[in-house]
Amino acid sequence: MIATFLQALVNGALAGAVLALPAVGFNTVYAVLRFPNFAVASLATIGAYAGWVVNADLGWPAPASLLAAFVVAGSVGAFADALCLKPLRPLGALVAAIGSVALDLVLQNAARFAFGNNPRGYDLTIFRNWRLGPIGIGPQEVEDAVLAVIAMAAVFLMLRTTRIGKTMRAVADNATLAESKGIDPARVAWAANFVGLGLTGIGGMLVALDTSLDPLTGFRVLLSIFAAAVVGGLGSIPGAVAGAFVVGIGEEMSTLLIAPTYRTAMGFLAILIVLSFRPGGLIGERAI
Amino acid sequence: MTARISRRTALAGSLALPFLARTGEAAASIPLGAINPLTGAGGAYGPSMAKVAKALVERINRTGGVIGRSIALDVEDDQTNPTVGVEAARKLIDVEKVVAIVGTWASAVTTAVAPLCWDSHTMLFCVSGADSITRLPHHGYIIRTQPNTYLQSGRAAEFLLRHGCRRVSGLSAQTPFAVDSWNRLKAVLGQGGAEGVGDIIYDAKQTSFRSEIDSTLAAKPDTLFLNSYAPDLEILLRESYQAGFAGQRFTFAYAATDAVLKALPAPVTNGLWSFAPSPDVASPAYKAVQAILGISDPDPYSCQIYDHVALVALAIGKAGVASGVAIHDNVRRISQGPGQHVSDPVEGLRLLAAGKEINYDGASGPCHFTPSGDILSCKFLFQVAENRHNKTLSIS
Repeated sequence: MIATFLQALVNGALAGAVLALPAVGFNTVYAVLRFPNFAVASLATIGAYAGWVVNADLGWPAPASLLAAFVVAGSVGAFADALCLKPLRPLGALVAAIGSVALDLVLQNAARFAFGNNPRGYDLTIFRNWRLGPIGIGPQEVEDAVLAVIAMAAVFLMLRTTRIGKTMRAVADNATLAESKGIDPARVAWAANFVGLGLTGIGGMLVALDTSLDPLTGFRVLLSIFAAAVVGGLGSIPGAVAGAFVVGIGEEMSTLLIAPTYRTAMGFLAILIVLSFRPGGLIGERAI
Repeated sequence: MTARISRRTALAGSLALPFLARTGEAAASIPLGAINPLTGAGGAYGPSMAKVAKALVERINRTGGVIGRSIALDVEDDQTNPTVGVEAARKLIDVEKVVAIVGTWASAVTTAVAPLCWDSHTMLFCVSGADSITRLPHHGYIIRTQPNTYLQSGRAAEFLLRHGCRRVSGLSAQTPFAVDSWNRLKAVLGQGGAEGVGDIIYDAKQTSFRSEIDSTLAAKPDTLFLNSYAPDLEILLRESYQAGFAGQRFTFAYAATDAVLKALPAPVTNGLWSFAPSPDVASPAYKAVQAILGISDPDPYSCQIYDHVALVALAIGKAGVASGVAIHDNVRRISQGPGQHVSDPVEGLRLLAAGKEINYDGASGPCHFTPSGDILSCKFLFQVAENRHNKTLSIS
């Protein structure tokens, strides 16, 4: 029983680490632009496809693929935002959020048009799990978790040390004040989208490495991303990380108590419980 | 008394002649409807199904028709949409007065159309798979040539028993047929001295099934029955391999697609068994479908609609009357009786006209049906994955 518990804990922690990246991306965009961008689902898919093209078609190694996933998803996301969502933002967060759902479906079908419905596989060897006594740990999942931690650390550093990072934090903290200090909101919006949605692209590729790559890869994790972001605190980057681990571990641990069919519901049960006691999420809102 | 015909009466009579002629022609032909998915999700199958149905009707008409009458086939597109399917069925039943509808494909369309058919005593021949269809109160007005879950799972279990599998665990995507499938598999395994050691039903939208696989492997199975679709099968194969499972894996051919086999390294997929209902490739009727479509491997649905048209024609030939009730009463007499085996509907009609009994064996299989309309048996294709390709093991 203890081994089963520990195994579910390990599985949940590894799942949470991968889920954290798109959740951080989601919250980065929310912190600066103040609306939930549901197009993260298809941008995760687009990032995964970009990484697949570089890895399987061009034969480049995983780090180059991850870079491609970041750049392509970030660029497509920033461009699509400027074209489709920016005009909607003055109408309110709800209108922009609905617009992002529409954008998500358009991008998802664009990916389907470009790559078809068939699943794709990366050119990587699949290893058997390491055994630590009764506990099995997948080398690929550990590598994914390490890559996710490195990518998140890079974003933290960028936000803390670079000029654009500081301006993003300033806008997230108080947009009116930041604008009065001469910070260009359009430039910050572009940067937030590029960084946040680029991270989502890396997250999408890590999810696809671990599962399968098809036009619905990102859509399948959208609810978990949203749950992680809300549980941690909308707009909070540390909150997204904490929320991802809560959702990842919570979903896996739930299988010890209830049938796996219902485990997706655990993410939303976590939302209800956390918001009942901490309406701002675990960490609080907009703490980037 | 002399009959007097005025010019006005003569003119009215001459104007009415073409309509009388048309009425006579309509009475001479037997109206038959086909509702096929020419577009929509089933669009890959509908056009070839319609082509096969038309070709067989033309051949029957060319060779003398049925009970001296030709068949008038009206093909409607349901767009793989139940609403459109119902509109098509209304037109066929209410306006065309068809005696039967053949070739409904999607389970949702068949389920929607079925009440119109049994209410109007119109026979419905479908290729849909949902078990619930033949559980409808159809009073014998549905015939299904596609094997249901019960038949498929039973044959899967027999295959596993033949290959020495003794402890089988299931991992099933949450579908309406997941529980029925597992229960039937487990029952047949039990009859053969093997054991079903637990089935986990999972939400196919998840991105990882590690905990499900860990729970499954805790029962120490020698075989995994993966009742999955392609995307979740890919994850299950990967994660069960990573978890160290080295036993047999068995799944459906619609999940073990070439794309899935190509998306994973060969060591992960090698040895994966998969199966699918198969047409009777040795049957002369199958060869007729090959000739109509000009291809070597017609899909099962095109083979099944060939049998639908044949069964309608032969049942009418047996009854000597063209109506839904006549087909209802005679379809089993010409398909599973003690008569002479025939695979060519034209030959069957000739024998019936000569007063002989026949037993039609079709392109899709023997065409023997239960009282509820399900097919009793058919051939199945079993295959094994080798180096990222499926290789045929047997058709039996």
